Amino acid sequence: MLVEPKTSLLQRLYVIEIAKGMMITMKNFFFGKKVTIQYPEQRRTYSDRYRGMHYIKVTDGVENCTACMLCPTVCPAECIHIEAGEREGKEKYPVTFEIDVLRCCFCGMCEEACPKDAIKLSTIYEMSQPVREVYDKEFLLEQRGNK
Amino acid sequence: MPKCIIDGREVEFTPGQNLIEVAKSAGIVIPGFCYHPGLSVVAQCRMCAVEIEKMPKLQTACSTAATEGMVVKTRSERVKDAQKSVMEFLLINHPLDCPICDKAGECDLQDRSFDYGSPYQRYAEERRTFEDVDMGPVIKKNMNRCIHCTRCIRFGDEIAGIREMVAIHRGNSTEITTLTGLPLETEYAGNYADICPTGSLTLKDFRFKKRVWFLKKVPTICEGCSRGCSLELHQSDNVIYRCVARENLEVNKYWICDEGRFNFHYVQAPERLTEPAARQGGSLQSAEWSVAVAKAKATIVDKKVTVLVGSDLTQEEALLLKELAPKHFPGAAMFHFGTPGITAGQHDAPADKILKRTSKTSNLHGLEQLGFEGLVTLPRGTEAVVVFRGGRATLPDLGGLATVGVGVFTAAEAEAFQAVLPGLTFTEKSGTIVNFEGREQQLKRVILPLGQAKPLAEILTMWANVGAAAVVARAGAKV
Ligand code: SF4
Ligand code: SF4
Ligand code: FES
Repeated sequence: MLVEPKTSLLQRLYVIEIAKGMMITMKNFFFGKKVTIQYPEQRRTYSDRYRGMHYIKVTDGVENCTACMLCPTVCPAECIHIEAGEREGKEKYPVTFEIDVLRCCFCGMCEEACPKDAIKLSTIYEMSQPVREVYDKEFLLEQRGNK
Repeated sequence: MPKCIIDGREVEFTPGQNLIEVAKSAGIVIPGFCYHPGLSVVAQCRMCAVEIEKMPKLQTACSTAATEGMVVKTRSERVKDAQKSVMEFLLINHPLDCPICDKAGECDLQDRSFDYGSPYQRYAEERRTFEDVDMGPVIKKNMNRCIHCTRCIRFGDEIAGIREMVAIHRGNSTEITTLTGLPLETEYAGNYADICPTGSLTLKDFRFKKRVWFLKKVPTICEGCSRGCSLELHQSDNVIYRCVARENLEVNKYWICDEGRFNFHYVQAPERLTEPAARQGGSLQSAEWSVAVAKAKATIVDKKVTVLVGSDLTQEEALLLKELAPKHFPGAAMFHFGTPGITAGQHDAPADKILKRTSKTSNLHGLEQLGFEGLVTLPRGTEAVVVFRGGRATLPDLGGLATVGVGVFTAAEAEAFQAVLPGLTFTEKSGTIVNFEGREQQLKRVILPLGQAKPLAEILTMWANVGAAAVVARAGAKV
């Protein structure tokens, strides 16, 4: 059953109540702390643990990845596709390494599963594209993070 | 039946059975590496140690036969301790390269280490290292991963009948190799990869193609010869990646030959015709199903036809042909073909002392049961031939006669044909085949048909539904 609140006549007139409300709004408008920023001129810094655009770590000019396929195994979005191969000086390496980034949910499980400290999620968050983007190996090998 | 007690449970056994097998029958796992049910027992790895009452020391279960009233403990503190020590010992030299090892995911050493080993390693000295070695076309050896279980040595000795693997040097420097350092000779080399409990011996053919946990495993039968070994084909995303032996004590035990193991490759080879084709302007070209069927019918109309049935078809398909042939190919003679020189079941003989048989098709004996006769020469006056083939039967010399192929052909094989109606290989259909002993075994479908290939029943229905007169007219107009 709906309970009718007991209100006095003054309250029922609203005028005073509206004025009270406007006081609060105005106080915040002129004297309050701003929560928005002027993007893209201004940018926020995120925590180092932020999970953004992927990259594959390179040590001494060689990709860390050995194509063990643990990241495609664990990836809940099934968006990582790797083909393994062999080359001089590296027994197993990824010939192709693709991330269908539109499907990625940025859970970071790939990073966690990787035994070779290879796949990383950087702090870059500007990834919107006019076309469906698939990151290929060349793109992923760009070192764009400090993890 | 005598009984013994394992982990407090009474277990029946047949005299002579070893403790690993007895425990297995009760669902109790005793881990082991060197023990393989198809090979002799050497009790070398010591992983299967168990405690037996009234015996002062731990005993190896693989080399101890169960006796009446024996009391065995497989999970006591002493046993666990021994297992942990053995695991640590085996892993002293083993590299931690599971990420690049093809065995990972189905590796005995990995599983046992997870189940019975310790997560910590105390060994800090340098590990021994070897170069990887190519052992012929089938096997690649990574000696670093070897645990000296000697399964491979015993397999060569006892099953393949050729002592080609040996252990040279002793102790920490033990190396498994071929005697002369030459490539492996046996035609059963793929089994080395199957039985090796580590990633030491791996298949070159499967190297880095797929991680094993992605594969879906389908039990089926080999179509390589008339023995019909039990296989498991491993598939992912409708692509077959490899083929391994499946245990069947009555036919092939635990083994298969390399010919059977790598036979599946023709299924997805680019040369295989999976689109219907008809001869147009002097060459065979892809065509609509209706056009190809029309062309096929036009090829044989009003001619004296011989129907050749590959002995690589299933019983179901052969029976269907037998019943429908009089309707579809009136007056045609019908023969089976498969291996040159083998025109009857009695010609089929063992090709070696292990598994292989001389008939290189799987269902020769089944077709004989159904009353098909073998092709010796084409009947005199034959003007056109219709060949039904599962993909493996060797095509006889057709002497330039007008030919229609139904089933699986490569572009080169069908070059001179008038029309090709693509059918299914043994991996794309289910059915029955009969091996040389008369044993009926079941083929299971592993992948979906590739391209436009269709089951034989569907092709025959299409054949019946395209009216002959209309067909001749249409084919005439199109060709
Ligand atoms: S962040 Fe998650 S969804 Fe994205 S690629 Fe890695 S595992 Fe897959
Ligand atoms: S190569 Fe494999 S099968 Fe042979 S001894 Fe070593 S671990 Fe055993
Ligand atoms: S399995 Fe018994 S000692 Fe190796």
